[in-house]
Amino acid sequence: MTRWGMVIDADRCVGCQACTVACKTENQSPLDAWYAPVLEWESGEFPDATLNYLPVLCNHCEDAPCVTACPSGALRRRDDGIVMADEEVCIGSRACMTACPYGALHFFEERGTVAVHGASEGPEPVPSVPEAYAHQRHVRGAVSKCTYCAHKIDFGTENGLEVGVHPLATPACVVTCPAECRIFGDLDNPDSNVSRYLAERGPGEVLRPDAETRPSTQYVGLG
Amino acid sequence: MGAPGGQNVFMDQFSLEARTQRVWDLNHAVWFTLMGLGGGVFLAGRILNLTEGLGALLGVPTVDVVSFAAIAVGGAILVGDLGRPLQFWRAFANVRTSWISWGAWSDLIFLTVAGLLVLPAVSIGGAEPFSGLGWDPHGRDGAGQALEIVAGAAAVVVMTYAGAVLARPRAIPYWNSPAVPVQFLLSSAAMSVAAVATIEVLAGEPVSAGQMVLLAVLSGGLLVTIVAHLLSRTDAPGKRESLDRLLRGCYRRLFVGLVLVAGTAAPAVLALVGAAAAGSRDALVVVCCVLLVAGGFWLRLLTLRVGIYPPVHIASPAGNRDAAGTPTSG
Repeated sequence: MTRWGMVIDADRCVGCQACTVACKTENQSPLDAWYAPVLEWESGEFPDATLNYLPVLCNHCEDAPCVTACPSGALRRRDDGIVMADEEVCIGSRACMTACPYGALHFFEERGTVAVHGASEGPEPVPSVPEAYAHQRHVRGAVSKCTYCAHKIDFGTENGLEVGVHPLATPACVVTCPAECRIFGDLDNPDSNVSRYLAERGPGEVLRPDAETRPSTQYVGLG
Repeated sequence: MGAPGGQNVFMDQFSLEARTQRVWDLNHAVWFTLMGLGGGVFLAGRILNLTEGLGALLGVPTVDVVSFAAIAVGGAILVGDLGRPLQFWRAFANVRTSWISWGAWSDLIFLTVAGLLVLPAVSIGGAEPFSGLGWDPHGRDGAGQALEIVAGAAAVVVMTYAGAVLARPRAIPYWNSPAVPVQFLLSSAAMSVAAVATIEVLAGEPVSAGQMVLLAVLSGGLLVTIVAHLLSRTDAPGKRESLDRLLRGCYRRLFVGLVLVAGTAAPAVLALVGAAAAGSRDALVVVCCVLLVAGGFWLRLLTLRVGIYPPVHIASPAGNRDAAGTPTSG
């Protein structure tokens, strides 16, 4: 069984926020919602002070508290481990937001936006998945979240592209990272890129281990 | 050394600092309180056999009218607070895991079954159009009693589920405790017994010493539960900050003064005094009711307002790079 997951090597992150912007561009997320920001903090003392970075996003937990708390069934975990929010089904109770230990869900209070994907836009189109796969719009009064760019993964699996390697079948944040600190692949496949990376650099750590959510987003090099 | 926890400039969701939830606040506190009161008043009226002799509205016993009104208003506030109120019916979908779905069903079952129960008593302009229905609205026959039991069970869930909604996820340590639904249940029960006793006073009926003892026991139990919750897991990240705000910070006066002392301990003492002193009982009942309802509301509101998430990651003072900026692991 496939279980998509992401390994983030915090040691490699340079804090450029390219992932943050790539995510926003790809998903056309609501104005005040950032699905994949990079947190930063200082450590050490002058003259040995340094900035540290922590890229964050939805953890796509195996035991997802947002899915458990959602009364409408708008949040569900797919068989491949991706936690999706169906904004048309969401009633805006925000129970998922209080249940998520990470703050990965975003309530959209403003007017709807239409997501326009790059293929047909601009004078020099950039490669992108067809709009049929793309996230079409966000619904006012509903909750939205990172989907690991599920539209790209679905496009890739349906068209024989290698997920986590081919740019059209890999989350936008992974594709755009100049430091290659994000690796995406099948956590259940011991030969996948994520499993090999964890074997070499791991074991993977998780955020808020006390919450016992079994995240599919794992970290190495957490300070 | 710079403190770990620089807030991300974009938003206040993912955070390296303890973060206060801002999703649920005043509307939810009102809703929680009204649901607790509504379910509790029905139960108290039925268990204490106080549906008759305390007045009626269109033939429906006053205690039941108060109960239905509280739950209807609470439900309306809940629906109005949804991001998509017209989709409220979807809240019934996930009974497998969601306490909100359980709450929605229990509200519906309660209003339906309790409504059916009192239907034979409805009187409009002297006519009783539903008197032919085959059960006693006060539950003195088999069918009436069966309806009472179903409505009563639903009322217990109505009184408790808001606390269960908060307690289930581990995200917010102050909420993640069975003490929260127990507090909500005991607070609802105490408010409701006091409210029913107040209805008795307003109807000119005597309040028994037994009711005052019951009120004292419920208030005392609530106090013990709150204090036990305050004393447990005091060092857990997130809960530590919640306790700081309640006991030493911005909510100290409201929590200690209004919730603990005025809203819980004082009614327990006053109810005991009222049990012993029949002459002042009526006045004490009204005072207890006001204190318990105010205390119950602030208990719920402050519980929501001290819902604090620990940092998503407790960063090491050394960071994830050494001073030269080279990785420390791998």
